[in-house]
Amino acid sequence: MKEKQQNIRLYVPIYLIVVCIYIIAGVIEPIFFTWNNNVNLFTRVTPLIFAGLAQTFVILTGGIDLSIGAVIGITNVIAASLPSPDTPLNLILWLFVPLLAGLTIGLINGLIISKGGFPPLIVTLATGAIWLGATLCIMPIPGGSISLSVSRAVTGKLFKVVPSPLLIFVVAIVICHFVLRRTEFGRSIYALGGNETIAYESGIPCSKVKIWVYGTSGLLGAFSGMFLSAWMFSADPLIGQPYVLNSIAVAVISGTSLSGGRGGVVGIIGGAYIFYLINNILNLLAISSFYQFVAKGLILILALIFTSSGVNLNIKELLRGYFFEKERILEKVGNNEQKD
Amino acid sequence: MNKKISNIEINNFVSQNKVTFLLYGLVIILFIFGEIISKGFLNYDHICAILRTASFLGIVSIGQTIVILTGGIDLSVGPLITTGNVFVCMFINGQDSNTLWAILFVILLGALFGFLSGYGVAYLKISPLVMTLAVGSLITGITLIFSKGAPKGLASPILRYIGVGSLFDFFPVIIFIWLILSVLCILLLNFSVFGRKFFYIGANEKAAFFSGIKTNFTKTMAYSISGATAVLTGVLMAGYTHTAFLGIGNEYVLWSIAAVVIGGTALTGGKGGYVGTIAGTIIFVLLESILTVMNMPEAVRKMANGTIILILISIYYNQEKAKVKIY
Repeated sequence: MKEKQQNIRLYVPIYLIVVCIYIIAGVIEPIFFTWNNNVNLFTRVTPLIFAGLAQTFVILTGGIDLSIGAVIGITNVIAASLPSPDTPLNLILWLFVPLLAGLTIGLINGLIISKGGFPPLIVTLATGAIWLGATLCIMPIPGGSISLSVSRAVTGKLFKVVPSPLLIFVVAIVICHFVLRRTEFGRSIYALGGNETIAYESGIPCSKVKIWVYGTSGLLGAFSGMFLSAWMFSADPLIGQPYVLNSIAVAVISGTSLSGGRGGVVGIIGGAYIFYLINNILNLLAISSFYQFVAKGLILILALIFTSSGVNLNIKELLRGYFFEKERILEKVGNNEQKD
Repeated sequence: MNKKISNIEINNFVSQNKVTFLLYGLVIILFIFGEIISKGFLNYDHICAILRTASFLGIVSIGQTIVILTGGIDLSVGPLITTGNVFVCMFINGQDSNTLWAILFVILLGALFGFLSGYGVAYLKISPLVMTLAVGSLITGITLIFSKGAPKGLASPILRYIGVGSLFDFFPVIIFIWLILSVLCILLLNFSVFGRKFFYIGANEKAAFFSGIKTNFTKTMAYSISGATAVLTGVLMAGYTHTAFLGIGNEYVLWSIAAVVIGGTALTGGKGGYVGTIAGTIIFVLLESILTVMNMPEAVRKMANGTIILILISIYYNQEKAKVKIY
């Protein structure tokens, strides 16, 4: 019960902010509420949602993955440079080869980090540079092609009603949520992020969990790269670079603590939406794209102030404290201090 | 008796600074390696050219080192370099008379933005990684709005002299500036009360707070210094390239972090210093230079950089046998 309350406190602010922005945008520009614009938004946020999911898994263990951009880039390039497009062979290869590549890269990261005991930030920075180099070796300039049917299936509409991107990211988030909350692997991720020593002493195989967490991150990054290849219908070796920092921002805005052990994937949609809503609104209002950076920065800072661990957004207690039972609250604080 | 003690002291000094000796050894090895690959690598002019390139990275890394020592990280240095570069050209507009005021104003602006990130990190308890990312985005936007996407203006002759000129036609001015700033930074970090506070906060923030250090204020100052040095780098770059360029600082975010980490400063804070960072900077630039001499493509250069970082950190952490978790 307590865990649920905590979760609500984590996810509610982010969705409140998103809904506010959404409504304001719709009032200013009615086109915003049209179905086409929303389908467009679903497609745009999907790669960022996958990148955010990948980053969340790693951040929950107290680590960070800066190689996510390189993973997205290399899987994107691999997906678009497979032989003989528009044949069943290509389809099968498209489904398996990039995922395998992403998983392998992630597992290598995990091995170096857990077996060597090095800080994840600098390890993934270095491996990211190495894989980016490899990507540029495979495909120095944007190009390549993929099957038309794949592209249509991934970015089109299922039964001409449900947009496939919406379906894809909702399913992905549900699966990730299930893995994190209801499986042994997921629970050990939280335990590991909370306190590694205690987790180790309670019999959790820490290094194994860490290796597979980075593996999962690589796998989810590969999904992002594959989706981008299907959406763009070609590949770009540098396409993943903006996702490095954006994925971290998305994970943090959606309520995951960078010190590990707290958070989850339910807020990811809100976190990813904030990024693209701003761009979308300013585009629809025909405002210069220069202001997008300022707006993005300001909204990020605001969202961080609301969701950061330092500021407890307990509105009920605040109101009580100010208007009704100030003394009782003070008394409570006093009691707590005595307990400590 | 006296001699014995001094021997022990020397041994202590060597064992404490093993990493630093290793790094400077690596610098010398890389220089010799370059000479073997192509004759003339060790020419005075070429060494000056390498140090000149390294000095830009070195000056950004002053701020980055201090921030990382407090246990934080500064991702806004890239946008700040661009801001300094663009704004100083805009204000100076090729006139010598504007130079001093323009530089002072721009550095103040950088310190102000640094203060903003520092305030968020220290007082609002926002994670430094995302706070500086957000401030970086804000700064990029402001730069774009004021320059209207097409930076105007030129560096003045004085700034140009600072960027490319040499003292007595012998010693490049920019290396001289880097030298002065390095000495100041080392004095601040190792020999002043204020500088030692950065180490204490990085090692254990709670303990530092209970020992009476104003942790929040000190942390904010660290970010302000980082903002000022980043903007100064942008100003010096304007002297070097004569004009402003909007993407000039992008690469420096990760480069500066890499230089600091190669230099042996722990990302968890509290350990390291600027002496190592100088070596880290030179190694980073030397490596680029050697790979360029060998006619390697961009892709291979990136891979080589990554590999070197991995090898170096594996050496550090095997030596210390410390398990470091965060980041």
